[in-house]
Amino acid sequence: MPASSNRQARDRPENLVRSVTAKLRYHILWDSLCICIPPVAAAAYVVLLLFQTARLGESATIVSETLVGVLGLWAIVRRYRPLVPNVSVAAQMVDQQAGAKDHFLTLSTLDPENCPPSLWSRLYRDAAGFVDRIEPRRDFPYKVKRSAYWSVGVSIAAAILIHFLMPLTLPIAHSGTLQDQLHELAQELSAKPELRTLAQELETLAAKVGDPKTTREEKQALAQQLEKKIEEQQKKEEQKDSRDLLGQAASALEGMEQQQVASGNEQQKDQQKGAGGIQSNLPQQGQGESKQNQGGSGDSKSDSSAQLSPDLQQGKSGQGNPKEPGLEKNQQQGDAQKNNQPDPNRPGKEQNKEQMGKTQGGSKEGAGREKASEEPPPQGAPPADRFYQTGEGKDGIKGARYVTVQLPEEIAADAKGESRTTKESKGGKARTQVPVSNVPLPAHVPNAATEKQQVPIEYRGMIR
Amino acid sequence: MDPEQFQEVFKRLETEVQKVIVGHDDLIRKVLIAFFGGGHVLLEGVPGLGKTLLVKSLSRALGMSFKRIQFTPDLMPSDIVGTEVLTETNGRREFQFKQGPIFAHVVLADEINRATPKTQSAVLEAMEEKQVTVFGESHILASPFIVLATQNPIELEGTYPLPEAQLDRFFFKLLVTPPAPAELREILKRTTGTETGDAAKVLPDDDGELVNAMKQLLRQVMIAPPIEDYVVRLVHATHTESQNGGPAKTSVKQYIRFGSSPRGAQSVILGAKGNALAEGRVHVSYEDVEKIILPALRHRIILNFQAEAENVSADQVITDVIKQVPRN
Repeated sequence: MPASSNRQARDRPENLVRSVTAKLRYHILWDSLCICIPPVAAAAYVVLLLFQTARLGESATIVSETLVGVLGLWAIVRRYRPLVPNVSVAAQMVDQQAGAKDHFLTLSTLDPENCPPSLWSRLYRDAAGFVDRIEPRRDFPYKVKRSAYWSVGVSIAAAILIHFLMPLTLPIAHSGTLQDQLHELAQELSAKPELRTLAQELETLAAKVGDPKTTREEKQALAQQLEKKIEEQQKKEEQKDSRDLLGQAASALEGMEQQQVASGNEQQKDQQKGAGGIQSNLPQQGQGESKQNQGGSGDSKSDSSAQLSPDLQQGKSGQGNPKEPGLEKNQQQGDAQKNNQPDPNRPGKEQNKEQMGKTQGGSKEGAGREKASEEPPPQGAPPADRFYQTGEGKDGIKGARYVTVQLPEEIAADAKGESRTTKESKGGKARTQVPVSNVPLPAHVPNAATEKQQVPIEYRGMIR
Repeated sequence: MDPEQFQEVFKRLETEVQKVIVGHDDLIRKVLIAFFGGGHVLLEGVPGLGKTLLVKSLSRALGMSFKRIQFTPDLMPSDIVGTEVLTETNGRREFQFKQGPIFAHVVLADEINRATPKTQSAVLEAMEEKQVTVFGESHILASPFIVLATQNPIELEGTYPLPEAQLDRFFFKLLVTPPAPAELREILKRTTGTETGDAAKVLPDDDGELVNAMKQLLRQVMIAPPIEDYVVRLVHATHTESQNGGPAKTSVKQYIRFGSSPRGAQSVILGAKGNALAEGRVHVSYEDVEKIILPALRHRIILNFQAEAENVSADQVITDVIKQVPRN
């Protein structure tokens, strides 16, 4: 009896339309889930990956995961809502499936009270005749849409890509992971008897890395010392696998040093931000000391030491040895030396000697200055110089072309062997050696006119 | 009147007319739909295709009064609607209204485009108002009343094409096409032998009540709101500047000068209802709308010069509109 009543209830056209509507809603919901969940899952995995590689803290991970979940939910709702099929859409689908020529559509969208009863009952009867043709499960099966496949594929590809690319792009940042790595390396090194000492030191360093009492400078210094030892050992080592192991340890220590430097910079920035009030541009004492230490080590390969050491080296050579001669002169002619950067590979003495030689050569001075003027202007010119017009400079017009009139008396003096030095040459200005004049040149000058030409009377007063 | 009875009468009428007219089944059905929908039909076709015979057969099957008016350039309005004539009764002279041929249930306005606009307008007033006014006195026309006008599309010299406002008063414009070879063979067999068939009366003489009941039933046919909305969107889509339905369709912009009037939408809905009843249904389907839309709108869409130059017909544009407007 209940089965037959259920059967009758199911056979009603309006019930069929209702059940199909519900089914279609489930389809849309599944579609939305199939399309939205894979990217959400991929995003959640990436967040988890960031957490595992210590790029995200615990709280940040929880917040990110929650955010990803909320966004996913929002995307599902946003996709589902506008696509929710109404009764008329479901009725049309039933009509199409049953070939009912819009019987179900009319039945489900019209109000029976506004229709003639005879026609309504006729319509209902006709529609009921089509109910047997429809089986919702058979006629409206769920099919996964192509967009869902795309979503899954793209999400998986993105997750895999990120999974493999992440370790390559950023160094390991987590201190626990670094410690583990050092431990592992120490264990590997301790397997070889000749490397046990290094392994112990590495173990000690690993312990100190995790120790909050050890300062950053101490850790850095320890790492540098150990790195040096490892390099020395590496040079001595003949076996390839041992060399590889030592190389790994060296690179781990290098990474650790970089990390320490980076964290130090961040701390400094944080202190500057958080200090509020007093700011100073004076060099900090501690920093200065560390610089000196780094400079003193000399062989350090770390970036920070690489950045610092040229400055220190340059400073040394610039200052030179105070006991050496020529130092005072060098200090006096500081401007001239700035243009001539000393070679850091050469000892300061030699450079100073060279400089001295150059400055002492009085006859070669003019030529040396010409060379200097041919050189491109230094990029770090003082800002005021930028306001000069082209060709102008602090001391007047630079590089202007002019002619020098050589008087017959000067030429005569030259011939006698007297010095050619003029007021201008003493002042340090270059002078062209090509005489330009309408005065006939003497016989010893090349390309001189064969016959002597008198200077016109009207020009004599002007020239002399 | 119930739907089954309607369908039965409709079928019998169709069968009777089909006994005389070979082919043109669709044409016969649409003429009957227009009749029960309370509209008038404009039949367009070259001479000799059986237009006049169709109307005669239909009137005979319906068993209603039938008049034929042959439109000529010198035809006067009074020749159609009637006039006051001076009569003498018992030695007393008085004006008496003499009814014109328009006072019939079925009127055939043969070659309507040959009469002057003045005469045409007299017929068209009768079509719309179902009454005529002569010397200030109104005279009600017979009910049911249908005008079946014919026009020749090729002999246009010396004709007066119907203006758009008058064309709009026709429920359907039906195109009478030449018969297929098989149909022509059948026509020859029926008309050149000794026995010539004739349509029998389906309805008793002047049975206006039955026809009016059928007309009433047609209007009761149910139409779902989405289908009604579809008709509205179709008619709106014929407008160059679509008011509610967004931008006009490309072909509409290109070829249409004026879109369909609201009468067009009324004709589509009533025609679709008639078609549904004729097919034994009491509700309208999308298919009914699409079957009826061409005869209901083709004379209500005014094409521009480009369409004429490119030989694009109204039917082509409407078909394009149907393709472009989605059902839901």
